[in-house]
Amino acid sequence: MLKVLIVDDSLIIRKKVSKLLENLGHEVIADAQNGQEAIDAYNAKQPDMVTMDITMPDMDGITAVKHIMKDNPEAKIIMVTSHGQEDMVIKSIQAGAVGYMLKPITEDKLAHAIGEIFIEYAIDEKDDELDLLDDSF
Amino acid sequence: MIIESLMLQMKLFLQDDMNIVIEHTEILDKDNDKVILKDYTSMIGVGGKLNLMVVISYQNSLLNELVSLFMDGEEVDPQEEEEIKESVAGEVVNTIMGLALPTFPNRGKGVTITPPITINDASNIAKHKNSKIITAIITTQFGELSVSAIGPDDIIK
Repeated sequence: MLKVLIVDDSLIIRKKVSKLLENLGHEVIADAQNGQEAIDAYNAKQPDMVTMDITMPDMDGITAVKHIMKDNPEAKIIMVTSHGQEDMVIKSIQAGAVGYMLKPITEDKLAHAIGEIFIEYAIDEKDDELDLLDDSF
Repeated sequence: MIIESLMLQMKLFLQDDMNIVIEHTEILDKDNDKVILKDYTSMIGVGGKLNLMVVISYQNSLLNELVSLFMDGEEVDPQEEEEIKESVAGEVVNTIMGLALPTFPNRGKGVTITPPITINDASNIAKHKNSKIITAIITTQFGELSVSAIGPDDIIK
């Protein structure tokens, strides 16, 4: 079971991702609504994985990734984004994120993303809408 | 045309992702001085190489259905109901913007998107001179929404 930090300014997305993670048997140990809260929560809770929105008020997800990776180079951060934000995804990957998921988020996409990062949770299905660092950039 | 792209993505989202039946669509054929707002309204700004604002305004009945679909039928805590409705309204405009952006001039490259904001109890948004408003109306089985693009005349035409 992974301990996960969810970062998104949208309440409905935090609820949705939380429910999907719990369905997959993981534990949401904290959530955050902007980049600064994400940094604070990461440092306080040291999660196994982070799902990170890109566009958020006060501090965006890319800036938060840079800060988290600076002090925690082993951090596993998956960006959650909409279509049309490819430039932002590339910047996130350059900042240290290990992958991204396109909205709408489904249990299959989430399971596949987790399996790409944590081999013990690897699954066979191929999800065309998920691209990780080694495949895409 | 930006409004056509926004309307197309909205239709596809409602039909394909939400399984909501669309009964009628219409692009209002004149430059409006203002956007007449419905019960809940979400706005998102586009900046950088393209400057415009996208406004989606929902009838309450349609937004309630979207909330139900986003929640997968899970009951909404009454204390969170308002925040969840605003969150869903914002998430939809965010999704539509993201889907439409690659069809915009220069395929949307070099633009930035602001986080969405959602308001209710507002009646209209008026334009400034030199700006233009074009609105599309989508009528569904659960009610109506409008999609408006507001920006400089040469971009919105």
